[in-house]
This record gives sequence, C-alpha cells and structure tokens, in this order.
Amino acid sequence: MRRFRNIAMLVAVTAWLVLVCKDTPTHAAARAVAGAAQAAGDAVQDSPGGKSYAANCAICHGDHLEGNLPAFPPLTGVGHHLNDQQITDIIQNGKGVMPGNQDVKGDELAALLRFLASADESTAKPDAGGAAGAHPSDLAQKGGVLFQQNCAFCHGRDTMGGESGPDLTQSKIVLADVNGDKIGEVVRAGRPEKKMPAFNFSAPELESIVAFIHAQEALAATRKGDRRGVAVADLQTGDAAAGKRYFEGAGGCVKCHSPTGDLAGVAKRHQGLDLEERMLYPEGAKSKVTVTQPSGKTVAGTLAYLDEFTVALRESDGEYHSWLTARVKYKVDSPVDAHVDLFGKYTDADIHNLMAYLQTLR
Amino acid sequence: MKFKNNSLLLVLSAVLFVLASPIAVVAQNLDPANLLKPRADSWPIYHGDYSGRRHSTLRQITQQNVANLTLAWAFQTKDKGSEIKSSPLLVDGVLFFTVPDNVWAVDARSGQMIWHYNRPSTQGQHIGHRGVAMYKGWLYFTTPDCHLISLNAKDGTVRWDKTYADVNQGYWATMAPLVVGNHVIAGVSGDLDNLVGYLRSFDPETGKVQWQWNSTPPAGTPNATTGGMTWMTGTYDPELNLVYWGTGNPTPVLNGTTRPGDDAYTCSIVAINPDTGALVWGFVVSPHDTHDWDAVETPVLVDADFHGQPRKMLMQTSRNGYFFVLDRVTGKSLLTAPFGPVNWALGIDKQGRPIPNPDKEPAPDGRLIAPDEGGMTNFRAPSFDPKTGLFIVDAHPSYSIYFAKPADGTYGWAGADYGVWGKGVIEAIDYQTGKIRWSHEVGPDGAGAGVLTTDSGLTFTGDAFGNFLVLDTSNGKTLWHAGTGEQMQSSPITYELDGRQYVVAGSGGVLFAWALPQSFATGTH
Repeated sequence: MRRFRNIAMLVAVTAWLVLVCKDTPTHAAARAVAGAAQAAGDAVQDSPGGKSYAANCAICHGDHLEGNLPAFPPLTGVGHHLNDQQITDIIQNGKGVMPGNQDVKGDELAALLRFLASADESTAKPDAGGAAGAHPSDLAQKGGVLFQQNCAFCHGRDTMGGESGPDLTQSKIVLADVNGDKIGEVVRAGRPEKKMPAFNFSAPELESIVAFIHAQEALAATRKGDRRGVAVADLQTGDAAAGKRYFEGAGGCVKCHSPTGDLAGVAKRHQGLDLEERMLYPEGAKSKVTVTQPSGKTVAGTLAYLDEFTVALRESDGEYHSWLTARVKYKVDSPVDAHVDLFGKYTDADIHNLMAYLQTLR
Repeated sequence: MKFKNNSLLLVLSAVLFVLASPIAVVAQNLDPANLLKPRADSWPIYHGDYSGRRHSTLRQITQQNVANLTLAWAFQTKDKGSEIKSSPLLVDGVLFFTVPDNVWAVDARSGQMIWHYNRPSTQGQHIGHRGVAMYKGWLYFTTPDCHLISLNAKDGTVRWDKTYADVNQGYWATMAPLVVGNHVIAGVSGDLDNLVGYLRSFDPETGKVQWQWNSTPPAGTPNATTGGMTWMTGTYDPELNLVYWGTGNPTPVLNGTTRPGDDAYTCSIVAINPDTGALVWGFVVSPHDTHDWDAVETPVLVDADFHGQPRKMLMQTSRNGYFFVLDRVTGKSLLTAPFGPVNWALGIDKQGRPIPNPDKEPAPDGRLIAPDEGGMTNFRAPSFDPKTGLFIVDAHPSYSIYFAKPADGTYGWAGADYGVWGKGVIEAIDYQTGKIRWSHEVGPDGAGAGVLTTDSGLTFTGDAFGNFLVLDTSNGKTLWHAGTGEQMQSSPITYELDGRQYVVAGSGGVLFAWALPQSFATGTH
C-alpha cells in the first residue's frame, strides 16, 4: 500500500512538472538577450551616464555604441541626426522593436544624454568627412554587411549587377546621388515597376549602405577596359539602315512614333542599355480610359488603376475617380501594347538594327 | 483484488510511459503516421502532404457559400521589411511559420502568438524563408547563415544547432526541410559563387549527418559545372521510397563556356533513396542552362491515367517555361509542352528535354529571351486538382535581355540580364495534353501567389494587386476576393478545426486566416 502511495505521489509530481513546463514557455531570444547582458556588464565607462547606458542600452546597442545591425542601430553619432528631445522620446516610448523605458528620467536621463553626446565626440573623426562621425571606410564596411544580407542577391555581392538587379556602379541614380539623397529615396520607396521591394532601414543603416555603394562605385571607376556589365560600346552591332527599314515597315513603329517628332533627339536623352530598355518597353507609359457610368455619362482620363474589381482614372485636371468594374463599362486605350506584340516577332538582329537606327536620332 | 491489481498495473504503466517518453507527453506532437496521411486538422509538411499537390479534400467552403468568406483573424509579424514567403505547418492546433531569422508559433483558432524565436544573423542572404519541418515534438529551421536548428515545438527553445554549409564560401539557406522516416533532409542556396549544391540528411534526434548527395562534381573539376542548389522542399513517394527534388541552375550562371554538355544534375529533377542518399534517376529539365532557370519548382506526384494507362507520374511546371510529365518510377518523359511564350529552344529531344538554341545564349550585344530570368513560374507552389485533371500554376509570360562578355568572367553570375516586360496569369493545364484549358490574368509584371485547390471545386490564389482570389476550378472565374494590401508571396494552406475550415495565406508581413462566419461553419451562433 505504501508502495502504491509512493507511485501515486510520483505520478502527481510528474504531472505537476509537466503542467509547469507547459505553462511557462521560455523564449529563446529573451534568454539569449539576458546572456548578452551579463557579457556586456563590464565594458562601459564608469560615469553615471555610462552606467545607465550599460544597464539599459548596451544589451542591444553594444558596449561601445557600435550597435548590432540590422536589428540594433549603432548610436555613435546619434546626436547628429537626433536632438536630446528626440532621443528622450525614443528612450521613454520606444521605437520599432525597441521597448520604451519610462524608468530612465531626471538626473539619470540627463547623465545618459550627456554620455551619448560625449561618446559621440570621442568617436567622431572631424577630418574624415564621413557622416555620423564614423570613418567612411568603417561606415562602408558596416554598409557592406547590410548590403550582403539585403541587396547582394539581386545587385551582386560587389554592387556590380547580379540576379535581375542592375550594376549599381553604372546606375544613373547612384552617379547622381549625393550623400544618399537619390539612393535613399529608391531604397525607402522601392521600384515596384522593376520588382524592387521597399526597405525600411534606419537612417544610420541607410547611410552605411550608401557609403558602401559609393566606395564600390569609386573602385569600379578605376577599372578601365574590362568593365563588366553592358557598355554603350557593346550595343553597336546593328545596321542603322536596316533598322530604319524595320522602323518604317515590319516593326510598325511609325504608327505611333516619328523620328522628327517624339523621337527627335532621343539618342541625346537616352543612351546604351537605358535606350534599349525603353525601346523594347517604355516602362510607365500611360494608358487612356473612358468609363461609361450607369447614367450613360462618360468620363475620360489617364488610367490610374485597373484590376478585376476596380477601375480608376485621373482627369486632365488631376481629379481622381474610381468605380467598381461591375457597375460601369470601360474601354482602355493602351498604345504601349504594340511593344508587347513585337516581342514574339523580333529577331535579335531586328533589335540590334533598331537600336543602331535610334542612336542616329541625335 | 483483481480490480486493484489491474488499477495498479494501469498506474504503473502510466508512470513508465511518462518516465520513458517525457518529451512525447509535454510537447506539441506530430504522429509520424500523420505525415503519410495528413488529417484534415493538420498541415504537417511544407506542401501539406508528401505528394506536393496542394489539394485538400475539405469541402466546407463551396462555390455556393464562398461569397460569405470572411476574416477569422490576422497575425502581424511586425518584423520590419520581411515578407512572409513561408507555408505554415499546422500541428495540434498550432501554426508554425517563418521569415528569415524568425519562427512564430501561433494559435490556429485565434491567431494569438504562443511563442516567437528570433536569432539575428548578419551573414547570408535574407531574401526569404519557406518554413519549418516537424518530427514528433521538434521543429527544424534553416538560417541565412546555414545552420539547421532543432527547436522544441512547445516553446521554441533550441535543442541543437548544426552548421551544415559554409556561409563564408557563399552558401545560404531559405528552405523548409523535408522529414521522411527518421531523416531530416535539408538543401542549400548559393548562386553568387561556383559552389556544389547538395542535400544533407540528419538524424532528427541528434542532428548527426546520415548522408549527403551532391548535385555536381567538386568545384574545380575540369569542364564540369558547379551549382544545382537544392533550395526548395521536395516530395516523397512512400511506396517507391523515393524522394523527388528539383535542383537549381549551374554556375557560372550566364556563361556556359567552362561547363560544356548537359551540366547534370543542375536544372534537374532527381529521385533519391531517403535512407542512403543514393541517386536512383535524374532528368535534366534544362540541359546546359545559361538563363538561371532553376528546376526547383514542386515535383508534384500524381497517380492517374495517362493516355489510357494507369501511371505513377511526376509533374513540374518549370521555370524554363515547359510543363513536364515524367513516369516517376523510371524518370522517363511522358509529355513536354510549353505553358507560355518560350523562344530559347530549337525543339524537344527524344528524351523529352528542350534543346537549347546556342544563338539564345547571353551575348555581348544582348539576346531577347522568353521567359525572363524569374522564369515562367517560380517558388510559389502550383496545385493539382484530381477531379478536373488540371494542373494550376501562377504563370509569368515575360521577356528579358541577356548579356555576357569576356569581361564578365566565369565566376558567379558572369553576365547581366534585364527583364523588359511580364504579366501574371493563373493557368490551368490539362496534364494529358499540356494544353491550357483556361487562363485568368492577374495583372502586370506578375502576381507571385501560390495556388491551393479543394475538393469543392475552388482554387485559392492571389493577383498582382494584393487581392486574395477564390476561383472556380472548372473555368477560372472569380468567385470571391479581398484586398490584403500587399502582393502575396506565399502559397495558401487550408485545414479544419472544430468543424470550421480555414484558409491561411501570408501577404506582406501579415498572416491572414479566412473562414466562413462561425454560424455558417458550425451551424451555431
């Protein structure tokens, strides 16, 4: 009987253990962060601000404010793009995945802000000309890491082109970019028409990526004859006279285009691959649409949106209207479809000849 | 006394059971038998079952009532920038799904998070993640820096962590492993370098390597290719005990001069013994590929009549633009037919393989190629509907220009290509003829959603604008839609819990669960 009771107790204890395990899921990530906190403890300065940083921030932003990209931005030079009020706001209310910490206030907060500012001065190298106080090569190196993770699959590990993504060192956008003003726009908004997704990098992350791309651009410029990718010189194999015949004849191009009208000087405006891509399919070309409403009234304008369920247009004054497709009749006039019809008919020689002809329209 | 003895025995055996297999009791548990014949309340494998048909026998949501389909719940990952490209698993009422570096366990009834595993990694491509595999109470998760990690499905804690490819050489990982018997089979990615693709099998308990199968000879072998990455989940025929896997493109990618011949087994479908890793047969879908057309699209297994004869078939709509039907016992071709515009082949050879046109290899002044480098279809899953015999796929008729010149070298990408135009079309292919029975346009550039079919004659997919679509499988007509705010990059799944059928699909960073209103589903309010 005693034996039986022991067994019964064992069962009860086991069952309790099972229940306890079930009810307290452990989060691996949380545990990993706790482990990192221990490791971080000894490195940061002794000042009150430094202590506050070590206790509250170093877990994620690193012992030396170096961050841990992509999740945790570096805080070196944080004062260059955020003022104390903005930093305070982020500390207290959090941002993105960062939790807010209302407990950091008063003297501790002031000390922490001083610490962040002083750390900034000590790490800044005024003669380097790099943004955010970091040396450009460090910055580019950081950006390189992010680039490998997020961009290299399409643009190649060295930014010089890869799976579906263009060579950035020969990109008009990159060449025209100053401190990320053009690149930043593209990265943040993406290029949906080219299937490039938008990326949500923090300002320091973006800065580092831009630095990396420009460093690669400078490197590429030092390579003279053996440039990879598509050069204007590569696209000169066609026969301009044959291209002109194709333009006026089999291609049917003259139905919409004229060498003295819309295409006059086109070779001055666009060269090389850019010209060829536009020739094959002018991305972003507008279509017209006329919508007949149930009342019989028609509205015409530039097609703004069309799926199976909704049609939308912009009138000439910019006014936007949309309708359910089930409730109206609509007719789309899309001259650009003529380019699509040609894809199945072109020979490669037709394309090269046409290219040669368009390049005479200067 | 007899009764007492019996109850003592019962208690004893209960204790022994608890002590002998504590894991089995405490964990989310996947009965291995369920992998062979998944129950309606589960989706235990990447493709739902081993056949890869992505067809469900569920019929609660019908053509008649689908107009009432509504949102059951939505789960927001809030992971910045990461789109859900994975197919969730569903086991014991819990969904498991991923984005790079992250796994979530979510209650399939409520959409509430149970746990979240996050392992930030700085190396390896973070372009997408397809999901996890499960064996008993354990999950298997690949990381961008090529670790295979076994997690406790109950709470997301790490049991073991094995490095299975060298990220410094240029490998990365995105795929959901496949569990067959006591094997966890994982593949690799890596297009930017001349690397050998491979499959590696692990012991599910210990993570010990059981075998490795290489797609190509070792790097540096004269006149031989590298590549053949194994970055999508394969399928399995338990009767033949063969695993079917698609392999990726050869490397260098756009320049084939250093790798004359077919470049086997890149751009291929291979049949492999899961116990030994031995190759049983291989079929090169794109001999001597120079356009990056991985043949990793689902090798769908169908047992049906082919031209009057019962057959064990394998079907693939391949990235190169051709639909292949093979006898999966022998690996011999039954049918090869294009499912959209293709202009790179001179014809089909006696073995059923397209013959690449040398004039359509990438050149210094460019070659116009159909389809584009993303291919006529890609990683999002197609579906086979047994009743209509239709193979339904998200197709991408498209054109691009391909360039390669000596300065591009013979390493990695080795050229450049630019898509010029494309569109998305859901196509229903008659597998007996390869003819397209119906097609449904889903927008410019391409859609990207996978396809799911059900016994009630419904096809679930998405369009280029972010609409989740339900189509009539027999004719492709739209029956229902809802805007999700982002193009779907995942393949939908379905399951039934508490008598209610759910359809789950990721779109952007949100996982959506659609169902009929509770009152419709269960007949109660």
